[in-house]
Amino acid sequence: MLVTARLRPPDRTVEVADAATVADLLARLEVLPGAVLVIREGALLTSQDKLRDGDKVEVRFAISGGT
Amino acid sequence: MAMRCKRCRGQAVMEVRRHNAAFCRDCFLHYVGQQVTRAISKYRMLGHTDRVLVAVSGGKDSLALWDLLLELGYQADGLYLSLGIGAYSERSKAVCQSFAAERGARLVVHDLAAEHGYTIPEAAGGGGRSSCGVCGLSKRYVFNRAARDGGYDVVCTGHNLDDEAAVLFANTLRWETGAMARQFPVLEATRPGLVKKVKPLYRVAERETAAYCVLKGIDYVVEECPLVAGNTQMRHKETLNQMEEAAPGTKHSFLFGYLDRAAELFKVADVADLTECARCGMTTQAPEDPAAEAVCAFCRSKARLVKTLPVVEVTTR
Repeated sequence: MLVTARLRPPDRTVEVADAATVADLLARLEVLPGAVLVIREGALLTSQDKLRDGDKVEVRFAISGGT
Repeated sequence: MAMRCKRCRGQAVMEVRRHNAAFCRDCFLHYVGQQVTRAISKYRMLGHTDRVLVAVSGGKDSLALWDLLLELGYQADGLYLSLGIGAYSERSKAVCQSFAAERGARLVVHDLAAEHGYTIPEAAGGGGRSSCGVCGLSKRYVFNRAARDGGYDVVCTGHNLDDEAAVLFANTLRWETGAMARQFPVLEATRPGLVKKVKPLYRVAERETAAYCVLKGIDYVVEECPLVAGNTQMRHKETLNQMEEAAPGTKHSFLFGYLDRAAELFKVADVADLTECARCGMTTQAPEDPAAEAVCAFCRSKARLVKTLPVVEVTTR
């Protein structure tokens, strides 16, 4: 089972094997769930949502710097 | 098993761990609106007859805020300040213009280079402050001045719970008691020339403003400002997020505990006397030496920057 994850910003794409759920995916990517949104086909996913082989998801970082 | 919405038991799309909750789309949008309404009401931020100016950058927070205020029926115009950061600024401006056009809302545009003679990338090369420092100073100055000149009653900024927690964290680490005394969801207009400033998103986490935009189909600039790398606030946010992961609600308790129980204790530290800037007439801190000329931080910074910028020779025929 292979999922393609696009991480932005900045913008890089990685393939992750054997991530059954969003929580698994984020753990494999070593990304804090509280810092990102995970989006599949325009829809938000929760950490418990299941992933399917061939899924393309966006892992969008929601932290922005400023003054 | 899919997560269920805490409110309607439908399929959840967004978790809010600090409230031990998850929401479906509609209930999440309701929750965000409720948090903003509560903030506005608690601190008497806005009235429906007020002319409101929302400072918009093209990012998730400010566009979510503008959308919420329009939905709540406020007379909210947008204010975009072009910072001259190349393609990033161009894209940001275009996003704000599209947002305004889609809603029939008014967007006021100001331009730092055209009006004040420098851009933020130029500021990064000299003048003593970091690019983020000059950017913040420039925005605060232009927002206040544009609101005053435009006859607005209040300026709204998109500072969210994470921003405010990170600023409080930084101020606490350095015991900047004067800055802590002024860190509040409302800054009243205490002198002529100062416009009231409010932060209606202080109860909403930045992950939630991003989710709000995705769920409402609001196009925002996802890319980070190219000048922000290594920014101290980003590092503080990462630290707080690590703590939040281990103990959800940490940021909420830190900020709200301060506002509810400690902020009052710091008010004595805000002792600055205010006066008019001798150059631009805007409000500034009075100098310690009464004989010295009062010049605001923006005018001082601008003078330093314009001196350090390369001179461009103009040939006339």
